[in-house]
Amino acid sequence: MTGFGAMWQVASREIRERGRSKAYLIASTVTLLIVAAIVVLPSLLDDGVDEIPVGSLGDGNEVIIETAEELATADDEPGEPASVVYEVTEYETRGEAEAGLEAGEVDAVLVDGSEVIVQSNTGIGGNSTVGRLQRAAATVEIEMVVATEGQAAVDIIEILTSDPLETTSLSGDDEQTDEQTIIAYAGMIMLYVAILLYGTWILSGVTEEKANRVVEILLSSIRPWQILGGKILGIGLLAFAQVAAVLVVAFVGLQATGGIELPDLGPKVVINLLVWFILGFFIYAVLFGAAGSLVSRMEDAQSVALPMTMSAVAGFFVSVLALDDPTGTVAVVGTFVPVTAPFVVPLRSALDAIPLWQYGAAVVIALVSIAALTVAAGRIYAGGLLRFGTRVKLREAWRGGLE
Amino acid sequence: MLHVDDLHKSFGDIHALQGCSFQVAKGSMLGFLGPNGAGKTTAMRSIFRLINPDRGEVTWNGEPIRPDDLLRFGYMPEQRGLYPKMKARDQIAYFGRLHGMDKSAAIESAEQWLAVFDLEDRFDDPLESLSHGNQQRVQLAAALVHDPELLVLDEPFSGLDPIAVETMSNVLREQASRGKAVVFSSHQLDLVEDLCEDVAIINEGAVVVSGEVDQLKDAAPIRHLELDIDGDATELIDQLEGVISTEAKGDHLIAIISSETDIRGFIARAQEAGRLRHFSYTSPSLTDLFREAVK
Repeated sequence: MTGFGAMWQVASREIRERGRSKAYLIASTVTLLIVAAIVVLPSLLDDGVDEIPVGSLGDGNEVIIETAEELATADDEPGEPASVVYEVTEYETRGEAEAGLEAGEVDAVLVDGSEVIVQSNTGIGGNSTVGRLQRAAATVEIEMVVATEGQAAVDIIEILTSDPLETTSLSGDDEQTDEQTIIAYAGMIMLYVAILLYGTWILSGVTEEKANRVVEILLSSIRPWQILGGKILGIGLLAFAQVAAVLVVAFVGLQATGGIELPDLGPKVVINLLVWFILGFFIYAVLFGAAGSLVSRMEDAQSVALPMTMSAVAGFFVSVLALDDPTGTVAVVGTFVPVTAPFVVPLRSALDAIPLWQYGAAVVIALVSIAALTVAAGRIYAGGLLRFGTRVKLREAWRGGLE
Repeated sequence: MLHVDDLHKSFGDIHALQGCSFQVAKGSMLGFLGPNGAGKTTAMRSIFRLINPDRGEVTWNGEPIRPDDLLRFGYMPEQRGLYPKMKARDQIAYFGRLHGMDKSAAIESAEQWLAVFDLEDRFDDPLESLSHGNQQRVQLAAALVHDPELLVLDEPFSGLDPIAVETMSNVLREQASRGKAVVFSSHQLDLVEDLCEDVAIINEGAVVVSGEVDQLKDAAPIRHLELDIDGDATELIDQLEGVISTEAKGDHLIAIISSETDIRGFIARAQEAGRLRHFSYTSPSLTDLFREAVK
């Protein structure tokens, strides 16, 4: 059997056994359910009509509430049901109105067309109903001033709240920037979570084989690199399957419910994330695998994961800095460091802030690192595997790899 | 033919092997004996290149062992190890596939071996649900599944009940008779004496005695003497020359004496001393040889 044949055997056992295990199936199902719930539930609960409960005390409130409704539904398609409806509760006394507010019956109470009472006006953005009523009241006043039909007043309000000046930014295509930043940031967080999560699978998979001593029989017939390589390949494929399933569920869910408008991702962003997920996964998987071979018990596995976890956290922070200054020194250095590149490069690329040569160099450095780390990790792995009991020192495993 | 030649291996200050040599021919079974910590496991691991010796080499058919050779060897390590949650048949078939078998052959062989060990109704049971003895049988099946030319078994009999010992013995005998080279370590010396033509005894990292059991016994400079007598046996023994060790249990006395001692006069004296109920003078047992070798 060729060397890769044995590696594939290890990988396919990993896929068959781990893929069928309760832990994997339950984790995958729960993740998918959560993703589906996040995507689908809001649009199921939301019937498309925003109902705003307001109270009315005294006279002169009707015109303001009607105007507020007109303003809110100005952009509605003709023939469709109104997107915003004000539900008005009439109060006889101020005391009743205050009790209604406290009971949460209404968001705000208009008094005589000149006052609005609310339970609280603090918090981010204040009370949005107050804002709507204020604008409506202002519109009514303008309406009285210009003494024309309601539509003209709406036009005036639109002009007042619009940004009539076109903005040009010297740093490029600004219309996309917000969207790009969100995509870049979301992609980076996904990579961070995925790399650490699946790296931990590798770690425990390696330690597990050492803990149940099956590793000695494996090593009696195949080489350490075949075991480590097969494990990374098998767990990697399971990881990709899980990520792909999550993305498909999220995408199909969003399409079906139309809940959120998907940003136009384009092939570049997708390929970019995919390339760096694969590169990042392999860089970290090799390191986690070598670390796993140093301990004989599952309880000790977390302690050897620290260097990798810290590297990923460092990569995360470098990326956050790069988000503010994607061409700064920190971002450029992070591009060329193998353990931070998987987080920094896709982010800079999504922001169109990385020259082609830097991107190419980062990919080459990552590939070379994977090769070099595989050789080094293979040696540590070989040296660590047959030393049972207490945690093996890195130096000891390194020297032992030659025995 | 497996040839282990003058292996030396140190781990820091511990000299695990200091000139360990033995050989196993195809179609023969070697009992590899030695006290705990003598270097048996280290020597066996060296065969599978799990340990690189500091000096000396291991050859198979006269050539240094290559990775491909390892696929034709079967190994049962002292530290038993299998996947606890994997089904018995899948597990054995997996090791078959790692040794280069195709899928159907691996499954077929796994089922055959499980049947040999009376586990035909446990194919789909996860390993952890089997008893200790049955797990050990699965472990042996994992070493045999790919029909290896060389079998190396570290303490295969430890922890087995008498019935399982018999099954295991029969399997090993059959493997040797089919032309396989078999080497196993054990502390059950009577079992080794029963099974093996050849033994190698290792002590402090070096093989101190090796060869055919019968020849070793004949050539040994000691004899095994046993007698039951009404009277004072110790006093009798004291008069005998070349006594190496004695052990008395009531009237029963066992002595290891030099093979050069003339015992004809001793028998006459014993008959005079009291009623002689039992007397035997034989070549030493393997246990006697072992004790002498590791003294």
